[in-house]
Amino acid sequence: MTQLRVLLAQRLRRDWLQLTLWIAGTVGLAFAGYGGVADTYGTEQDRIGTLAAVMANPVILLFRGLPSGADESALLVFLLLPWLAVMGSFMSTFLAVRHTRGDEEIGRLELVDATPAGRWAPTVATLVHGTLAALALGILVAASFLAGGAATEGALLVGASVAAVTLVFLAVGMLSAQLMRTSRGANSLAVWILIATFVLRGIGNAMGTPSDDLTRMESSWLTWASPFGWGENTRAFDENQWWPLLPCLAAFVVLMAAAFALQAVRDVGGGIVPERAGRAAARGALSSTTVLVSRLSAPSTVGWMVGGLLTGALSTTLGKVLDQVAGENPTIADVLRSLAASGDLEQAVVVVFFTMVGLFAACAAVQTVARARQEEAHGTAEAVLATPVQRVRWLANFLVVGFIAILLTCAAAVGGAALGATGDDAGPELLRAAVVAAAGQVVAASVFLVLTALVFAVAPHLTIPLGWTLVSVAIVLGLFGPLFDFPDALVNLSPFAVTPQIDGDGVDLRGLWWLVLAVAAGGAASLVLMRRRELAPEG
Amino acid sequence: MAAVIHTQGLVKRYGKVRALDGLDLDVEAGQIHGFLGPNGAGKTTTIRVLLGLARATSGEATVFGADPWRDAVAIHRRVAYIPGDVSIWPNLSGGEAIDLLARLRGAKRHDRGYTAEKERLMEAFQFDPRKKGRAYSKGNRQKVALIAALAVPAELYLFDEPTSGLDPLMEVMFRREIARVKAAGATVLLSSHILSEVERLCDRVSIIRAGRIVESGTLADLRHLTRTEVSFEGTDASAAAVIAGAHDVVAEDGRVSFTLDSDQVAAALPELALLQVVGLRVNPPSLEELFLRHYGDDLAALEGNGR
Repeated sequence: MTQLRVLLAQRLRRDWLQLTLWIAGTVGLAFAGYGGVADTYGTEQDRIGTLAAVMANPVILLFRGLPSGADESALLVFLLLPWLAVMGSFMSTFLAVRHTRGDEEIGRLELVDATPAGRWAPTVATLVHGTLAALALGILVAASFLAGGAATEGALLVGASVAAVTLVFLAVGMLSAQLMRTSRGANSLAVWILIATFVLRGIGNAMGTPSDDLTRMESSWLTWASPFGWGENTRAFDENQWWPLLPCLAAFVVLMAAAFALQAVRDVGGGIVPERAGRAAARGALSSTTVLVSRLSAPSTVGWMVGGLLTGALSTTLGKVLDQVAGENPTIADVLRSLAASGDLEQAVVVVFFTMVGLFAACAAVQTVARARQEEAHGTAEAVLATPVQRVRWLANFLVVGFIAILLTCAAAVGGAALGATGDDAGPELLRAAVVAAAGQVVAASVFLVLTALVFAVAPHLTIPLGWTLVSVAIVLGLFGPLFDFPDALVNLSPFAVTPQIDGDGVDLRGLWWLVLAVAAGGAASLVLMRRRELAPEG
Repeated sequence: MAAVIHTQGLVKRYGKVRALDGLDLDVEAGQIHGFLGPNGAGKTTTIRVLLGLARATSGEATVFGADPWRDAVAIHRRVAYIPGDVSIWPNLSGGEAIDLLARLRGAKRHDRGYTAEKERLMEAFQFDPRKKGRAYSKGNRQKVALIAALAVPAELYLFDEPTSGLDPLMEVMFRREIARVKAAGATVLLSSHILSEVERLCDRVSIIRAGRIVESGTLADLRHLTRTEVSFEGTDASAAAVIAGAHDVVAEDGRVSFTLDSDQVAAALPELALLQVVGLRVNPPSLEELFLRHYGDDLAALEGNGR
């Protein structure tokens, strides 16, 4: 018992900041959502109109919850519950893997296992720690709904649903940590399960049966195969059903028992799924740092491309639906027009979505340059730079590969837009807007590529935090600036806000040349500065 | 002979810490040069400056007569390097990492000579190339760097504690490889804190302390600086006092021991014979003793703290 207390205290101490951020972010989303819904969907008529339009569009149902009536709180649950549950689930899978397989892989767990704590106490401590985090999240989500003035039972039920799904994924994380030998493997297994069940639930809802007044949906059986589906079928603020939480608890118990059973039969450090063997010799192509950098960046780039493809597809499919919604709800139309700065609503939607694509592309770029820093801190850069490879060329490789990642992400988005626009009368027009927007976003995202490289050349230790901070600031300025009426001068600091747009028949270049100039100057400066800088390993 | 490595008054500061504080080091072509010092004395910093990975704060450093900071790439074409703490890419297999590093050093893709050499080394070091990087232990990561360094010929080998993760069998293999590259005429700078390793392998030794070379020379030179230790069974210390040149005579644990200047050992043997000593032991001066002469005060300070 003493050991358990010590281990639990150690977990709380190690995680408090991280968990505070996760929980505060999730609760903040719930709280902000309340005000948003009240503003945007003020009247019942607005809400009924929105739900009717949404019912017709499977793509929206993929990203939102289960429509359960036009009550204000119920609509908020429809919009937010899946995302609250997803954030809680990410929190708990990462938590589970971090404290079990993560420690085990590095060898820290061995130190603890060899004390009287033994093999079980660390796992039990992680279970308790994760359960406490899930309960805290559920209670605070419920509190944020109550604070917004929602009905008590519904608020409690939303909190309980979020906590229940979070618990299921705590168990998923614990189980995959038992199965895989590395924390990377365990995290990716758990995240794939999370994404797959999330999508399954969305498809299940889209295939469901709408009610006659088009405000409610009965999930199809597919939704019932997913923990997120169970959470949504509680229909808080509508029917307030508690029983769908039972399968969540059952899954939690079964998966957790399986995790403990697997741990009982394996050695410390071992896994259940064998590691795949790699190649005995490298392919012929793997003989330059350019190829090495491409290979290291390929998996993450593919991820951003998938994001780009989906966003592109949404940009052209959603236009139609939003036209319909906006016809009935002028507030939404206003918001979209202010984001897109002008023009036809369907094209405005494309522009808004491609700002998102630009963001993804910028993330892909920042991640690539951040990898240069990881290589340096980790020591692999030293091995490479002790061979006849110039420092400057080495950084240039990351810049080139980062730029290719940007191009691929934007190209995937244009591909998605083309898919979404097929069969639409306005298709060619929309596609033209998409291509112009994508081209502009390539340049905007490149600004972040060179800025991060510049940070890397000047202050290597800050590369990762500062690179991501720059992107986040630009996101806030570019996406939310127009909504919150920030001054133009401030908004236009964000490269995403000044990219070229379709203007009637022509193209308004806006800040394009400034962006190009910034990219060229930043790229050159980072390379020149790299020539003068020595390697800065961790410490 | 030409100096392959030459440094004079080399200083490297990290903030207020002087990692190198006027380091003078000369390594000549064909030498196996031991670079001895405990952790933190500046061995790794020196090697990083010599590779142009770190920039000297002041002083002079040349490798093959070139400035390692400005001409790093030209120098790297002639150098093989094994870092002290090898890390490899988590998602590349060991075999892929070896091939990549060897190709960056100039091995051609379909070079039979390289492939044969790599196979031979993997066999010698009992290395499994198919595992992914993250699955390798410290010793196996070390082997990746060793094989990549040894499979492509170089003129200068910079080894930073190359055997720190290897088992004794692998250390034997490593010594054979060093003998092979020496026979091929290469120069080796071998940093280590393992005295026996340096004693077995190196022609010359430099001892570094707090960023400065405090002793440098051939092993034979250095041995002259120390005394030979002699001991035999007995309890009467006065028996040894008659021997000319004997110092520090003590009788302890049933043995009488004393030290002799190394050039007086031969002269003392007849006297030992006259004493009809039993269980005679003559220990030649070891690097350890030499090392402790320079670090003895540190040791004393540590022991003082321990009390």
